[in-house]
Amino acid sequence: MKRAIGLLAKLLRIQVRSQLQYPTSFILEVFSSAIILGFFFVSFALTFSRFDQIGGWTLGEVAFIWGITEFSFGVMDMVFSGFDYDSFGPMIRNGRFDQLLLRPVNITLQVLGSRFVLRRMGKILEGVIIFIYGLSLVNIDWTIGKIIYIPILSFSQVLFFGSLFIFGATTTFWTMERLEILNVFTYGGSEIMSYPMHIFPRAIRLIFTFLVPAIFMSYFPAVYILEKSDPLNAPGVVSFLAPLLGLGMLALALRFWKVGIRNYQSTGS
Amino acid sequence: MSEPIIQIKQLQKTFKVYKDHKGYLGALRNLFERQYNLVHAVDKISFDVQPGELVGYIGPNGAGKSTTIKMLTGLLVPTSGEVLVNGYIPWKQRKAYVKNIGAVFGQRTTLWWDLPLRDSLDLLQHIYEIPDDTFQQNLGMFREILELDPFMETPVRSLSLGQRMRADLCAALLHNPTLVFLDEPTIGLDVVAKQRIREFIQFLNHERKTTILLTTHDISDVAKLCKRVVIIDHGKILFDGHLNSLLEFFGGRRLLVVDFAEFYPEPSLGEAEIIQQDRNKVIYSFERSSISASKLINQLSENYRIRDLEVRDQPIEDTIRRIYEEQLLYNHPNGKENPSS
Repeated sequence: MKRAIGLLAKLLRIQVRSQLQYPTSFILEVFSSAIILGFFFVSFALTFSRFDQIGGWTLGEVAFIWGITEFSFGVMDMVFSGFDYDSFGPMIRNGRFDQLLLRPVNITLQVLGSRFVLRRMGKILEGVIIFIYGLSLVNIDWTIGKIIYIPILSFSQVLFFGSLFIFGATTTFWTMERLEILNVFTYGGSEIMSYPMHIFPRAIRLIFTFLVPAIFMSYFPAVYILEKSDPLNAPGVVSFLAPLLGLGMLALALRFWKVGIRNYQSTGS
Repeated sequence: MSEPIIQIKQLQKTFKVYKDHKGYLGALRNLFERQYNLVHAVDKISFDVQPGELVGYIGPNGAGKSTTIKMLTGLLVPTSGEVLVNGYIPWKQRKAYVKNIGAVFGQRTTLWWDLPLRDSLDLLQHIYEIPDDTFQQNLGMFREILELDPFMETPVRSLSLGQRMRADLCAALLHNPTLVFLDEPTIGLDVVAKQRIREFIQFLNHERKTTILLTTHDISDVAKLCKRVVIIDHGKILFDGHLNSLLEFFGGRRLLVVDFAEFYPEPSLGEAEIIQQDRNKVIYSFERSSISASKLINQLSENYRIRDLEVRDQPIEDTIRRIYEEQLLYNHPNGKENPSS
């Protein structure tokens, strides 16, 4: 295990080094992508200024969950890049996955180490800025519990999005092609988690509660941290299910991943 | 005789090949009922390889070579049968097993595409946990023999095919594997590069006593390197034995190359058949056992005016190609017993 982590660190370090070969252009790229991504929020905020509130939430409160979600998705997109279809699909199709099977190291670890996109710092930076902006607008009644829960929540979101990426990558073992519908859950999920979810139509809310439990990853925890009233009248415990669901989804995703690899080994490519 | 390093018994791999219904309605039907054919890519083959052997595993395209190699390297799980390599069942004990084998696939690279070769090799040291002194010693040797120095700092994606193959060979051998699978190691290479790879394979087998299973569709690889060949076609082993004994049976044909002094439209010559005619130059092929060269030459000089002539053995490549094409090994006493029939 220690050796595995050492190896992963080495794989990542080499990639970071090669991506930092031109530091100036790297920094420019990070800032420009932060600004471009940030424009979505800016345009949302401008529209918002006409309404004051959305479903009883202020701009600052939306910025709070928007920032955390962007940050977590950015971290996930950096760490789980290997499972991103753009890198994993070609790996299956041109047979590079076979090469991983020929090395005496855990497969999951090798896929994790196969790609690390440092540029995602842009999205992470954008998330941080929006989060801080949100904090400056809202008046949170801070408790120790809330302070501890915010990083735990972000970590849970990383696991949540990461699990969806692993699910998506695994389907490639059967389809070889990208299943566009899965983007509804990954990118769509992160989009929907940026808003207070009680404002969405019931059908969408049900999908993102029971099929993909996104609502437990941002809306319910925010109800606790921001002390909002919940028109959905869910029991208080739902605010704290995020870490449990994050870990559970990861376990499930890894189980599915193993099945996918086994299928790959019995059918070949 | 020592314990075989590779033991294969009744190995079989069957693929389902789905027949899709066509059109929109067909696509809908595919969801509910899919018909398929069973294709036996590898059909109950058995053979052993002894430590230190260099075995050529050959056959025409689609014969089942790659499928066999994939099962032997643990990439693919067989439908039935047994494989024991180095004492491991490849697909069951993957991590422990791959530590002691090397594999080079001519069409793919083990190396990291975007990294300089040096970094790739460095990573492999960690992956295989190669002790520093072994690593340095091996790297030093391979750098010299395979002449890697000019491109050690070059990203793998910028290497030429020949350079990449040399790099891949080095990468597959740094951890001192006792057994190496080489799948089409000379594919796409020019004559000089091919020769270089072949010399290296020979060195590996002779000097380092590495057991090698060489898959190739280039028969000249096998002719130059292997004493023993295993021929597979349609998933079945057609021949397993010395290359020489194969050639004795089927390499009986010789070529007679004649340069006539004038043009003859159809210079027929008894039992010899014309296989090529280019103006005055004609190549005949004849069976060594049924007629002697001197008899043919006599006949020629009686009927035609000749400027020059030469007798040649048919190249091994042609012999083996003929074995594939005319399916000479089927129903031949020297062909392998066919276990399923």
